[in-house]
Amino acid sequence: MPIDAQPRPILPEAPARAPGVPLLVLEGAAIGYDSPLLEGVSLEIAPGDFLAVVGPNGGGKTTLLRTLLGVLPPLAGVRRQPAPVRTGYVPQRDHVDAYWPLTVADVALMGRYPALGLGRRPGGEDRAEVARALARVGIADLARRSFRTLSGGQRQRTLIARALAASPELLALDEPTNGMDPAAELSAMDILRDLHRQGGLAVVMVSHRLEAVANYARRLAFADKDKGLWRVGALEEMLTPEALSALYGRAVTVREEGGRRFVYPEGGGERA
Amino acid sequence: MNALSEFLASKDIWRDPLLASVIAGGLCGFLGVYVVLRRTVFVSAALTQLSTLGLICALLAEESLHFEAEHAGVQLAVSIVFSVAGALLLGALQARRRLPAEAGVGIAYVVAGALVVLGANRLVHAAHDLNAMVFGNAVAVPFSDVLVLGAVALVCALVHLAFAKELVFTSFDGETAAALGYSTRAWNGLLYFTIGLAIPAAARALGALPVFAFLTIPASAALLFATRLRTAFLVATVLGLVAAAGGYALSWIWQLPTGATMVALAGIFVIPGAIAKGARG
Repeated sequence: MPIDAQPRPILPEAPARAPGVPLLVLEGAAIGYDSPLLEGVSLEIAPGDFLAVVGPNGGGKTTLLRTLLGVLPPLAGVRRQPAPVRTGYVPQRDHVDAYWPLTVADVALMGRYPALGLGRRPGGEDRAEVARALARVGIADLARRSFRTLSGGQRQRTLIARALAASPELLALDEPTNGMDPAAELSAMDILRDLHRQGGLAVVMVSHRLEAVANYARRLAFADKDKGLWRVGALEEMLTPEALSALYGRAVTVREEGGRRFVYPEGGGERA
Repeated sequence: MNALSEFLASKDIWRDPLLASVIAGGLCGFLGVYVVLRRTVFVSAALTQLSTLGLICALLAEESLHFEAEHAGVQLAVSIVFSVAGALLLGALQARRRLPAEAGVGIAYVVAGALVVLGANRLVHAAHDLNAMVFGNAVAVPFSDVLVLGAVALVCALVHLAFAKELVFTSFDGETAAALGYSTRAWNGLLYFTIGLAIPAAARALGALPVFAFLTIPASAALLFATRLRTAFLVATVLGLVAAAGGYALSWIWQLPTGATMVALAGIFVIPGAIAKGARG
């Protein structure tokens, strides 16, 4: 291996940040559009965190993420961001219009736009960063392919690459494994785990697939507007039959096998 | 051949209208890429109606105030005010969640259309001009209109050159753009402002209905075969320009209605793209 072919760090050096200072904070927030979906939401995202927000569809998870990122103002309470945070965002794949005639590299390059500022066009360094991000998620060979011709899993990787191209400190993902087959889901989650471990990236993801996140997140939050439920804690503390039963309204079994956690609702074969 | 020679010999008559048609066709072709990709074709239809309503209001005011001469500049200014205000309002409605955005567009379209019919019914002297203004059968375009159209095209070009990446990003994936700190409402407003500005100015040259067609057909034709966004913008602009110029020349030579000829020619341009798309599967 040539000397200069050392593996590059996944992310460039993060800006100096005082220890213990969180990236984002919600304090006693009521979240929603016109009326509150969830109230009393308190949450801190620290550098290097890995938080998964789970709950049923329509339970307020996406609204929480949008409030956390500052897209929606809280209806009550406070949102704080002690310092600017470089953020990468991965929307639900179905929310991205695949009709646009854009290549994979074009889409990923958009991740660089916020840092460029108004009126400035992307340059060689931006394109190099995009190439690295595409390589990191294993689709470097697809850079010139049309986004609209990709499979669902490839599109998801493209959107993750776009988020990584921003050299983020915080990666926020909304249902990143929605509609994926089990192999693609595992692959996508492995990518996130590696980014988190090797790059020191803070990850916040929302998912209605508890099992998809049970083996990756460090912290878990439950959000369900119908039950007025908001709870956040360490994974071990939250991933208990009692806590999950309160969330899903039925008995839930948590089993560990071969180093992986499996979560089953009781009284049926369907997985939580 | 005689008709062509006659057409070429009449350069002084058609030079300004043709120039205006070319600018309007190119401008609408370019903006149409956003209109089609954002699935807001009926927004442009509603804005075209609002622009015509502005024109009717200006004509009614001129008649009720007993102005002897037409004030083209005032008519255009009122049309622009109606169109831009409608564009900003419809853009803002898209961000609201109380009603589907299509409902607001539909209401604007049909109410403006009804008011155009009612207003036209009250016109006494200008009624004969209105058909030409709406359907684009006006042979003569004064040079002052060409200048206004050129200025509008320049403003739109500068805005879209300077803020291309922001307009594309917020149009393609507004959710992510908002999450990364973009004010999608402001960027959508800027995009709709340029469309609202272009429609009345282009309608002076092409007519209201051809403007709607030019905001849809060239972009659709370009998007059928373009695999890059830049190519789509370029091809849609060129198709709009060629359809407007070619339609104007053919309507002169064959003594056909100008607007309809332009639209029909633009429609023909969809065929190669459709064939190419079909061949690709």
